[in-house]
Amino acid sequence: MTASDLQKAVLALDRATMTSELVKATQTLCGLRNLEAAPTLIKVLGFNNPAVGAVATQGLIALGRDVVPTLLVSLDVGNYGARAWVIRAIATLRDPRGLDLLEHALKADIAPSVRRSATRGLAEMELEGPSFFRDFSRCCEALFKAAADDEWIVRYAAAFGLEQRFCQNSTDTGLRMQAIAHLEQLSSTSEAVKVVQQRAKLALQRLQAE
Amino acid sequence: MQPLNEQQVIANLRQRDDASDRYYAAWWIGKMRSQHPEAVPLLLDTLSALSDDPVDEDDRGVALNAIRALGLLLNPAAHDPLMQLLGSKDYSVREEAARSLGAMKTKAAIPQLCQLLSGGPAAAGREQVGASTLKEPCEALLEALGNIGVNNPDVVAVITPFSAHPRPLVRAAACRALLQLMKEQRWANELEQLLQHPEPLVRRGVLLDLGASGWTAALPAIEDASVEASLKLVALRGLAEQSDDIKVLDVMDRLL
Repeated sequence: MTASDLQKAVLALDRATMTSELVKATQTLCGLRNLEAAPTLIKVLGFNNPAVGAVATQGLIALGRDVVPTLLVSLDVGNYGARAWVIRAIATLRDPRGLDLLEHALKADIAPSVRRSATRGLAEMELEGPSFFRDFSRCCEALFKAAADDEWIVRYAAAFGLEQRFCQNSTDTGLRMQAIAHLEQLSSTSEAVKVVQQRAKLALQRLQAE
Repeated sequence: MQPLNEQQVIANLRQRDDASDRYYAAWWIGKMRSQHPEAVPLLLDTLSALSDDPVDEDDRGVALNAIRALGLLLNPAAHDPLMQLLGSKDYSVREEAARSLGAMKTKAAIPQLCQLLSGGPAAAGREQVGASTLKEPCEALLEALGNIGVNNPDVVAVITPFSAHPRPLVRAAACRALLQLMKEQRWANELEQLLQHPEPLVRRGVLLDLGASGWTAALPAIEDASVEASLKLVALRGLAEQSDDIKVLDVMDRLL
């Protein structure tokens, strides 16, 4: 691969106007597997075109965790679509450097799909090192908040997330008991949405079967 | 602004001075599934304005929200008043009434729903000059018949011709209803084919139809559709709530 491959791909993207051309140019850019293509792929997320955004997000995810610092500094707070894709990419990469961002997105973002992705990210983030216990507890506290969200899909994601967080980890019994209490609440008739009840029941079954 | 409580909302619906407060109150009562004893009587009261001549625009807006709310509250007291509205001259009133009757699974409404669809795509489904709507709100009527769920040859005979309507979303509504009633894979196949439509708007509508059908075999098609994940999750919610199948929840987990 040469620098001119990247330049050519960026140029093709600049010239593209129709969705099909944009998708093709974005695919080419993704195919280079080059970290230097990341800023352009992030720009593409702001085009407000779901087909193109999906391709670019997959391309960014394929670059692996090396792309996380670039993603963290380039978040376009004004563009809801782009923000949703970036949160999604960081959640999928499970990189603990995204903790602050996901925590904040879940607390403050008005778009339910962003809070949903952030919740999934907090559920699956791979925690490690000396800050493990502190980060684990931050993720749990965030998931407890998600369990009380106004939107059903965020509560659904919280039920999923609490199962993920506690299916292997039983070190902190206090947090685990809180998690079970939240799941019991979500699986009861005080939860208005049936599919959330269904998911919470499944999580309880799986956690209590261990 | 303070969030409203139920007591205030009921008072807002009862008063006649501020139409926008009434409009919002009618919506709120449905959204929150209010069980207040006065909720249904007050919603039903708003419907009388639809028989005025001419109908006041503000009152009409309140009544349309009330019809939708009644479809969410599922109170049997609404069956008869909503069925009467199927005879309204107002297209949107017939449309919303059909949707709510479908949600309430009002079997007694079936003859009227079939009557409105009579003549098939060339009559009830005819394009109107100078308007974007068909002669009748066919999608709502077809969906209502599917949701009510009475599978008999007369109903199937009324619905089937619409599976060849020129508009893809009307075809989808017919296939969805036939799938709900007959539980035959061929109607799911038709829907899955429509899910490949070049128009995103059509794909979104078809996806929700597949979800509403409760047809679990459509799970892979829903997962792979080129539609945004948020909408797939809504469609899968319909599938999960009707089927109680853990496989559906697994797919939802992957889409979060």
